[in-house]
Amino acid sequence: MTHPTIRFGLPLLLALALAWGFVTLNGQGVEGRPLALSLLLGAGFGAVLQRSRFCFYCNFRDLIEKREASGVIAILVALAAGAAGYTLIFGAWLPTPALDRLPPTAHIGPVSLTLVIAAFAFGIGMAVSGSCLSAHFYRLAEGSVISPFAIIGALLGFGLGFLTWNPLFLAMTSNAFILWLPHHLGYDGGLLLTLAALALLAVAALWWARPGIPAPAVPLTLREAVERVFVTRWPAVVAGLLVGGIATLAYFRVAPLGVTAELGSIARTVGTNQGWLPSSLFGLDGLRGCATVVKEALLSNNGLFVIGLVAASFITSFLAGQFKPRRLTGKDVVRGLTGGVLLGWGAMTALGCTVGVLLSGIQAGSLSGWVFLVTMSAGILASWKVARMLRLS
Amino acid sequence: MKSISRNLAVLATTLALGVAPAIAQDGPLVTADWLQQNLNDPNIRIFEVSVDTGVYERGHIPGAVNLAWHTDLVDTVRRDIVSSEGLEAILREAGVTEDTTVVLYGDNNNWFAAWGAWVFDIHGIHDVKLLDGGRKLWEAEGLPLDTATPEYAASEIDLTEEAAPLRARLADVLEVVEGGADVSLVDIRGPKEYSGEIFAPEGVQELSIRAGHIPGAVNFPWGGAVNEDGTFKTADELKAAFAAIGIDGSKPIITYCRIGERSSHTWFVLSRILGYDVRNYDGSWTEYGNAVGVPIENPTGTVWGRI
Repeated sequence: MTHPTIRFGLPLLLALALAWGFVTLNGQGVEGRPLALSLLLGAGFGAVLQRSRFCFYCNFRDLIEKREASGVIAILVALAAGAAGYTLIFGAWLPTPALDRLPPTAHIGPVSLTLVIAAFAFGIGMAVSGSCLSAHFYRLAEGSVISPFAIIGALLGFGLGFLTWNPLFLAMTSNAFILWLPHHLGYDGGLLLTLAALALLAVAALWWARPGIPAPAVPLTLREAVERVFVTRWPAVVAGLLVGGIATLAYFRVAPLGVTAELGSIARTVGTNQGWLPSSLFGLDGLRGCATVVKEALLSNNGLFVIGLVAASFITSFLAGQFKPRRLTGKDVVRGLTGGVLLGWGAMTALGCTVGVLLSGIQAGSLSGWVFLVTMSAGILASWKVARMLRLS
Repeated sequence: MKSISRNLAVLATTLALGVAPAIAQDGPLVTADWLQQNLNDPNIRIFEVSVDTGVYERGHIPGAVNLAWHTDLVDTVRRDIVSSEGLEAILREAGVTEDTTVVLYGDNNNWFAAWGAWVFDIHGIHDVKLLDGGRKLWEAEGLPLDTATPEYAASEIDLTEEAAPLRARLADVLEVVEGGADVSLVDIRGPKEYSGEIFAPEGVQELSIRAGHIPGAVNFPWGGAVNEDGTFKTADELKAAFAAIGIDGSKPIITYCRIGERSSHTWFVLSRILGYDVRNYDGSWTEYGNAVGVPIENPTGTVWGRI
């Protein structure tokens, strides 16, 4: 059990630091306000991820191996809520989903064989390292010993991604196409199709799952309320609605959700300054997704979003007494680094990860999000199969 | 306090002339205060022309119509400005008539808004006004923004087929350089681009394979025409600043930069604020510097590819 001074003192310090950061940035006028808002949205996102264990990989594994559907339901609800929110915003910004125009900055990404390969590799990276990138960020706060290595690996992976970008672009990515559902079906049709597909997945998940033992009904006292907010895992539907809501607000005010742009930008800036990366990356800056840029300013919206995410998940994790590091083994280092490299390479090549392409893409009505979902799942399943075979042999 | 006195002045003018506030502001610029007071005037149509994608949608001046400079205002295939038919379609959709006062504004010190004003002017919408200070000042003053896209009843407007003579082509520039035409050339790029020390500013992809400037051009970096808050300097200040480098309006002027957009800003200053005879060379250094067999001045002697 963590000592109370640390359990409550550290969250207090972090909360004060976040508040100071928000107030300082917000006071910097026009340029500072989006940065302040990004910090706040990141904090909200991080708190929800940690409190509800909103981890793409763990939830998928719970469903397949333990036959528990709640985590996957949270993801599907988040996708549905965000899709509805995005559609409302699109309708205001682009009244008719005309053919030659896309809503600004939405992650309506290119679909090509490159995306398939990258998402597959990302899925393998998830299986090897134990989660996707957004989950590694909040699992840092739970004392995961793999996550720091996975994030370092991801930085290296991004570097490799930049190195392989040009040949892949010339061979495959340049022929990519963009499929935005509202272009073909209108806003109503696009949203209906998205919701129908998500509902179908939810039905399939619930059909496969075995019902858990219901928790005994506890009357809602003040003590129980505190327990439910700060200690026990948040219910799936609540978590999904919150993630969908944050995704909508983030798109409305700053940019679609994504957690890799800053990581990629750091890798690109270092690699470019050191002369390790090609001086021009074909077509990269013209494609939709988690944009990586050579950094010119220290603070960026995405950087602050990730800082907020990590800080808030430390706050909620400590308060819940869930910071539980275990002894680091050599296997953790290897799994973290190799899995991380695959995550980084996949996220760079796919122009985002489970958040930037899957979540923000499906919510925006883009086929790229669905392609990522399917091939990433295939990558995870293939990894498990290989792991089982290796153990058998 | 300042804005109160400005408002009083507008009010006084209005009362004295007995006219609606909408036409109380003459000249090529409108102030943020004036624009805010006239947002509901159906005879005023505001357009935002910003460089950054997604800025308009996340908050624009209420009622403003978005113009995407890289698709709406250009011919993407010919490297040309939008045709008169193309602009006509945009204006009709935005409900602009011949009696409409068009106000443009944008981010980055109105760079592309000024370029828009130049394009509008070429196609016969001559009295386009810029919001002084652009988006930057509007935001800094905390004035209201809207996120909904306005829709207006379509109008009938016919643009003239004949383009106004506000555009210089490579041949016109060569007539100055080699033919001795009595025209001043103003290069508004940074001093290091002008001197040939660098080919283009950092992070810029559209390049010329030669460094330097057009022979005879004087250098006046565009930023010299604006104040810290993004507003234009006064006409007197501008007049003096340009006179100091020999640009006094006594002969025709051609402005240019790298791709012709920033130089529209200077075109606006010289042509619309100071009333000089100015053409903008939109081929600019990416055309001239790459053209075969034309002379340049390259004080620093930087040569492409030389080790």
